[in-house]
Amino acid sequence: MLAIDAAAYRSPWRRHHPAAKGLLAGGLLACALALPPWPGAPVTFAVALAVALGWARVPPRTLARAARAPLGFVLTGSLAFLVTVGPGGIGWAPDGGHRAAEVVARCAAALLCQLLFASTTPLADALPRLTRIGVPAAVVEVAALIYRLLFLVLDAARQIRAAQAGRLGTLTFRATWRSLGGLGSAIFIRSFDRARRLEVGLAGRGYTGDLTVAVREIPLATRFLALAPIPALLALAATLTLDGLR
Amino acid sequence: MHIAEGFLPPLHAAVWTAAAAPFVVHGVVMLTRQVKNDPESKLLLGASGAFCFALSALKIPSVTGSCSHPTGTGLGAILFKPPIMTVLATITLVFQALLLAHGGFTTLGANAFSMAIAGPWAGYMVYRLSRGAGLLPAVFLGAFVADLVTYCVTSLQLALAFPDPEGGFAGALAKFGGIFAVTQIPLAISEGLLTVLVVRLLRTSAAAELIRLGVTDKKKVAA
Repeated sequence: MLAIDAAAYRSPWRRHHPAAKGLLAGGLLACALALPPWPGAPVTFAVALAVALGWARVPPRTLARAARAPLGFVLTGSLAFLVTVGPGGIGWAPDGGHRAAEVVARCAAALLCQLLFASTTPLADALPRLTRIGVPAAVVEVAALIYRLLFLVLDAARQIRAAQAGRLGTLTFRATWRSLGGLGSAIFIRSFDRARRLEVGLAGRGYTGDLTVAVREIPLATRFLALAPIPALLALAATLTLDGLR
Repeated sequence: MHIAEGFLPPLHAAVWTAAAAPFVVHGVVMLTRQVKNDPESKLLLGASGAFCFALSALKIPSVTGSCSHPTGTGLGAILFKPPIMTVLATITLVFQALLLAHGGFTTLGANAFSMAIAGPWAGYMVYRLSRGAGLLPAVFLGAFVADLVTYCVTSLQLALAFPDPEGGFAGALAKFGGIFAVTQIPLAISEGLLTVLVVRLLRTSAAAELIRLGVTDKKKVAA
């Protein structure tokens, strides 16, 4: 299982409705994007971090590991702000450091809001409810199938990779390429084989085109829903206050 | 390479979402029609989506010595055709945002435009145009172009969002293009080669599926 999804299944917020969690994380995300980066981004980051670690009890290690790769992209991308390319050639951008810091701060705050939702809401809880906001049922069913199959396919890919490594399949550059080709085609064949077996199994159970699954009822109107907008309002109030003091 | 959550200004994120929407809606209409006419294809589409996700998680060695992930958009477009690939890749992007924190919700439109629309359509067009040269050369060119176009469009999106103070859009395009697109050329070659290896193996071990998907026909497999 992937680390973020595993954290979502273990989350104490699992019993809360995905829409309420969406309102909470979405409100903070709106603050991260719409408020002025200074002091909006650090304030939103601090509020989102406090909510994630204190209220939602997301494991700090999961949060840090999940944020590593996207923050790496953000830092690489923001390097471009440090230089300027003009008719006179390449030079240091006078305001580049400030611009890069703004983008990095905004991204860090927004990423934390995204992780807050992802690490408290399993996809299996959110997907069936997408039909209520207008996503066609066929797309939701295909997405649910992808979600169910992808762990099997990823597991198969890991096993094949380990078997290839055990047979010295990654010893040389040439062998690595051969192994990768084999791995890509093997996961294609296994995915399709799995789909065919599902087809046969469902046909035997009178499949007519509807994949009916039980969705656990979660009440939406709760105290949590009433509290959900508070972190965003807190971030907004703190930002406006700090901005007024400058 | 996905544009991370919060990287694009809100207006740009909204404009790219609006630009991606007609293609995604077209893909959804095609997918819904296909599922209605042939309910069993739903399972095949689920397997295809899982395959696309797993493919994008593979690490490929680059000519420069580093490692990267294939986009998988070229192979996906060749196997499943661009409209269906648009939907599958968009679903994959949502899953990557939620399960791996790669990409984001507000940047979903921009990422979908580069990875689920521009890349697959460009790759598929090149594949169709070069099909006369044989299956494997066409597959290489299709996967190479799909990968490269994906990254060029990402550079374009970033240059439009963050024009250079002196050079404007052109200067910014040179900067982001230098960082992403040029370093991506060896990776695009790597993805092209990997896709050729995968399709070559599939031709011998999964010919029935390739015929079912219309990638090849019985005569060519027999030959």
